Amino acid sequence: MKKSSAFIMVVPGLVILAICLFLPLLRVLVPTFYTGDYLFSAYADFFKDSYYLKIFVRTVKVAVITTIVCMAAGVPTAYFISRCDKKWRGILLSVSIFPMMTNSVIRSFAWINILGSNGIVNRFLMMSGLVDKPVKLLYTDFAIIIGSVYLFLPLMIVTVAGVMENIGDDMMEAALSLGADRLKAFMKVIFPMSLPGIIVGGILVFTGTLTAYTTPQLLGGNKNMVLATFIYQRAMSVGDWNGAAVISLIMIVVTLAVIKGFNALAARLDKRGGDHA
Amino acid sequence: MAFMTLQDIDVRYDKKKQILKGLNLEVKEGELVSLLGPSGCGKTTTLRVVAGFIEPENGVFALDGEDLTKVPVHKRNFGIVFQSYALFPHLSVYDNVAFGLKMRKLSKAEVDKKVKNILEICGLTEFSVRFPQQMSGGQRQRVALARALVIEPKLLLLDEPLSNLDAKLRINMRVEIKRIQKQLGITTLFVTHDQEECFSISDKVAVMNQGVIEQFDTPETIYHRPKTEFVARFIGFENFLPLNKHGDVYKSEAGAVFTVEGASGEDSLMGTIRPEDIRVAEEGQTKNILTGTIGVRTFLGKTYQYEVETEAGKFLVNRPADESYEEGSTLRLYLPETKLILVKR
Amino acid sequence: MRKNKLLTAFAILVFVFMIAPLIIITVTAFGEGSAITFPIKTFSVKWFVNVFALKSFRISFVTSLEIALLATVIALLVGIPAAYALARSGMKGRGFLKSVFLSPTIVPGIVIGFVLYQFLVLTLKIPVFVGLLAGHFMVTLPYVIRVVGSSLDQFDFSVEEAAWSLGCTKTGAFFRVVLPNITSGISAAFMLAFINSFNNIPVSMFLSGPGVSTFPATLMNYIEYNYDPTVSAVSVVLMAVTVLLMVIVDKTLGVAALAK
Repeated sequence: MKKSSAFIMVVPGLVILAICLFLPLLRVLVPTFYTGDYLFSAYADFFKDSYYLKIFVRTVKVAVITTIVCMAAGVPTAYFISRCDKKWRGILLSVSIFPMMTNSVIRSFAWINILGSNGIVNRFLMMSGLVDKPVKLLYTDFAIIIGSVYLFLPLMIVTVAGVMENIGDDMMEAALSLGADRLKAFMKVIFPMSLPGIIVGGILVFTGTLTAYTTPQLLGGNKNMVLATFIYQRAMSVGDWNGAAVISLIMIVVTLAVIKGFNALAARLDKRGGDHA
Repeated sequence: MAFMTLQDIDVRYDKKKQILKGLNLEVKEGELVSLLGPSGCGKTTTLRVVAGFIEPENGVFALDGEDLTKVPVHKRNFGIVFQSYALFPHLSVYDNVAFGLKMRKLSKAEVDKKVKNILEICGLTEFSVRFPQQMSGGQRQRVALARALVIEPKLLLLDEPLSNLDAKLRINMRVEIKRIQKQLGITTLFVTHDQEECFSISDKVAVMNQGVIEQFDTPETIYHRPKTEFVARFIGFENFLPLNKHGDVYKSEAGAVFTVEGASGEDSLMGTIRPEDIRVAEEGQTKNILTGTIGVRTFLGKTYQYEVETEAGKFLVNRPADESYEEGSTLRLYLPETKLILVKR
Repeated sequence: MRKNKLLTAFAILVFVFMIAPLIIITVTAFGEGSAITFPIKTFSVKWFVNVFALKSFRISFVTSLEIALLATVIALLVGIPAAYALARSGMKGRGFLKSVFLSPTIVPGIVIGFVLYQFLVLTLKIPVFVGLLAGHFMVTLPYVIRVVGSSLDQFDFSVEEAAWSLGCTKTGAFFRVVLPNITSGISAAFMLAFINSFNNIPVSMFLSGPGVSTFPATLMNYIEYNYDPTVSAVSVVLMAVTVLLMVIVDKTLGVAALAK
């Protein structure tokens, strides 16, 4: 292909990206670099403020726990799906994809019904006489975490199952024939072979949870803010546009750092090639 | 004295289609036995029953007098070489080979000693730090073999191990496998659909068809004396002639008279003969004669192959290149009684 | 291969966790009372009637459809040629260009909405609707680049060369040979981009104004001030549409097309 025609094909996209993403980002974010006495003072102030810091820590904490839970629940499930016959694999994959296609408002709303003071869990607890007044489940970090797991678990499962599907049965069989039981064979062969998929899933879940708005807004409430809901609150309720911009950049930087970190981890695990010294 | 026995093995797929039907097989210690047959005949299933990947519906699999039918795969201690090799892509050659030893919790020094020894035997010493994807097909094949052998298995199971190699490498590797197998004296089951490969490597061959073993014999016997029409066809007999017993002789459907050496007792049989064993009849010969017209003539190098249209159907005949016959001419074929073989229809 | 009972039980639990909440919503939508209860006491479809009676739902639903459709179509128009150029030309810095095209995925949605609102709407005085469209374009473009890109990667370009050798112009070959062979990728990209744009909330949070509000945002707003089965009923309707879409996708592209 001629260079000129390739150029023509990519330019429209680049122009829109420039005007509708890069330029606005620069225009909004760059002024935050120098707002006070010294460069990046707004960022230093952010991390000095205990309230802000608490929100930052909560956001990261929720993302870490959600990612770990999604991995712990998603990897075995993905393995299960990948070992089913074709018909069941299709069914289970559809069942996993369906929530992904369903609006996150609906998915969070479901948990309001379950965790609310008049919700299913509390009514069950009261009926069985375990508690005499409703336990506060909704509008807690726990609610955000369970909602986030609910939001991102399907993504983890589908991503990892996609990789595991390509691992032939012969790998498991070879490991078994060499004297490994099923658990060992999974840990020593299937798991390391699926790591690329697990890492991708981890990145998607972590960055997704880190930047999610709907779920923390609906399940966390105003008292349990995370960075995404905090941006909106700073800008719309308080009118602190600069503060919102500072948080925006922090989110972008953390997202990038997480992606880099996960990828570096993947590269290291891959090169080591097992536990042999 | 049988070392490994399969007794009345039944296997069904999804509780419906029966793949193995009361299969029986006995293998002596140190033998290399091939399971030969077309795809879908149940040879791989048989191997997987032995390996423990499939639990048969009925029947017993025993080794050295011990019933292993219900023993799980990882406790059987059999070495398996997969058709795809199934090397672990995330492990180096060394770690692939060491895998089974680590599962047995051997000390580091012992693992190292055994791995280095088997890599040496398989000619892989210089590749120990490589990863499977950095190696050629033949090298991967050796790694798969080394990995299966290093655990000092009681049985070695090979599932079409040479089918992914090119022709020349395949011949080298089968000699290599035979050499290592004899050197270690390990009882081996070898699954293949390639008869040449199978004959060259095996002590005994089990020809399988539709879930049963049709014939279990030495390669020589199977090559020269197939017992059934299926076996004959599978190992390259191309000419078939239905024969019926009439006293001491056999008659074709057209009434021609044939005599056969070592005739069996059955009345209705199939006569078969290899193309290179058919002669051109001399004058005055009256028995074991078929007359036909030459259709297509093909040059094969040392010989010509003629497609002869006879009263009993198409016959393929190979004759030396110096005695050439024209297409369209009539030929009287002589089927020597020592070469004509009777098989079950 | 023999299945492990423990693993099966674990997987069943996970699937129950994923599906039960949606089933609960579905059941509550048919409750009579104005408070959400599970299980329901009396059966009623009045909340479904309410869904279609609420004007704000109707208007925002149309807005969302318009935005998602427009954003997806623009992303396809811009993205397909870009994906083709990235796959086919020996351009220097292709990897870099691709990451530029995928960069909207690393900017959090709420941030995209925030900077677009500040720059396009407040500074440049561009109408909110256009700003919203721009934001949703950022949601849809990466899907087009990724999914169409991966189907171009699998395309055997010697077929295109064969078309040239038969006298087809380069443009003609693109439309007659390349495009017809990547239609399934394009369809999958369309579905994914459309659904994700339609469902997106964070990008739209800032980009709303008089008469311009997306459906999910309206829904979320409603939840924050009302707690009745209307939302359950909406959910049931949306889920029914989703099921329908998935069946269509499964019959045409295979459901795995949505797993990208």
